Amino acid sequence: MRARTEAGAGRAPAAPWLRPRGSAARSPRVPRRLVPLLFAVPFLVIIVAWVLAKSVFGVSDAALPSVGDVIRASGQLINWGILPYDVSASLYRIALGTALAIVIGVPLGLLLGTSRYSVIMFGPFLRFFRAVSGIAILPLLIVWFGFTETTIQVAILYTALIPIIFNTMTGVRMIPRGYADAIETMGGGRARLMRDVYLPGALASIVVGIRLGVGYGWRALIAAEMLVGVGGLGSMIFGALQFRALGQIVAGMILIGLLYLIVDRLILAPVEDATVRRWGVQRG
Amino acid sequence: MTATSKRVPPTRQGGRIVCAGLAHDFVNARTGESVPALGTVDLVIESGEFVTVCGPSGCGKTTLLRAIAGLITPTQGQVSCDGTVVRGPGKDRGVVFQELAILPWRTVRRNIAHGLEIQRVPRQEREKRVAYFVGLMGLSGFEDKYPHELSGGMKQRVAVARTWATNPSVILMDEPFAAVDAQTRLTLQEELLRISLLSSNSIMFITHNVDEAVFLGDRVVVMTKRPGRIKTVVPVPVPRPERTVEAMADAQFVSLTDQVLHLVREEVQ
Repeated sequence: MRARTEAGAGRAPAAPWLRPRGSAARSPRVPRRLVPLLFAVPFLVIIVAWVLAKSVFGVSDAALPSVGDVIRASGQLINWGILPYDVSASLYRIALGTALAIVIGVPLGLLLGTSRYSVIMFGPFLRFFRAVSGIAILPLLIVWFGFTETTIQVAILYTALIPIIFNTMTGVRMIPRGYADAIETMGGGRARLMRDVYLPGALASIVVGIRLGVGYGWRALIAAEMLVGVGGLGSMIFGALQFRALGQIVAGMILIGLLYLIVDRLILAPVEDATVRRWGVQRG
Repeated sequence: MTATSKRVPPTRQGGRIVCAGLAHDFVNARTGESVPALGTVDLVIESGEFVTVCGPSGCGKTTLLRAIAGLITPTQGQVSCDGTVVRGPGKDRGVVFQELAILPWRTVRRNIAHGLEIQRVPRQEREKRVAYFVGLMGLSGFEDKYPHELSGGMKQRVAVARTWATNPSVILMDEPFAAVDAQTRLTLQEELLRISLLSSNSIMFITHNVDEAVFLGDRVVVMTKRPGRIKTVVPVPVPRPERTVEAMADAQFVSLTDQVLHLVREEVQ
């Protein structure tokens, strides 16, 4: 649009098939203060649809609780001390599971990524296990570890581990070979390559892996808590089903999504800002 | 390092490189076919000498440099540095690469210090040398910038400083200014000549740019097309301190450049 007015006001474009000056094709930057507003739009739409479903189309309380029901249920859960207990149980589990997955997965991924052979060898293997989700292995875990905390922890660890290993490995493979050459010609050995090239070079990809790992792990956690039933948000919403407490169920669902967003924004995004964004090497 | 602070500390004699019967074939991973990249090369780089290697694209210049650096093991022949056979990369032979060599996650300061860190140079000495090269290469004020905040020319200055900082006895440069614009390139060439006069390192400089080869080298090694062999070695009779961009217009330089250009063009046909 701007380009057209420019061309109209000034001289004609050199040739009609040339991209107009001022590059109308490139979308302008989104103003910063607009960003949180844009984030909120789809959420507002779904809330409006929800309210309309209740008020205009008269969906029954047995199928869908009203907004008021959910707020009331949340209040009750907080007052009874159930919500703080379940939230902290779930958060503790995801934190522990992810921390373990990072401690095990990143070094393993770095090791695998440095060899061309191991990438070929483990690529399909990791993809296979990525498809067999944490939920799919739960029955087997219950046989092994019973209805215990261990079952939940192993399910999270397994689920979060795979994308972390995979992304670390592929991250290392994408580092230009020249960096390693430079270190070697300065007399650096394998330890130096790991610390100075592979780890920072793969970090953008590692953060993506951790994001996926936390996301998948969070889902596996909710499912595992439903089945194992030793507290936590999954346990809570599954328990509420017995009393048909739909308000509690929806409150739990909202909280599950909200907590993930908070973890992602408050923990992972700042890590990216401090590293890969500063170095100008972030992907995507 | 005493009164002669103009010299790059600590000074030592440049290394002597001997390439004897050096040849290299690449194996095509898909077909298993062996493709000769470098013909048989016999070349001596004398201590303290500045040798430029010039030849058509794909003639194996970079292969020759990588063999001397120890980054590839040649199919035939061997390289020795000061009498020791090269079996891998070593800190006696520093390399300045064309691009993508300084680390994006290190600031200018930490990139220049990198080789010194690897070689366990004490912190105080490290800082002193980094400061020296930051000044020498005109990088003052950019010490804490990351590479993506620098221009192409600045990045290559950092790469040069990083290699010089560890003071290797031989410095191998692989088309270091090829990705830089023409004006900056001239400046970088002049700066390189200046640094080469402050130190006694032996330098091998690869380029496909004839002007650059004649301007910088004590000798210009002209290579044949792939598989590259040495076609001719052209000595440049003008001592390095007397070379300036203006002097390149002198009849002697012009005729030398024409001579080398003619030799290279014979190979491009």
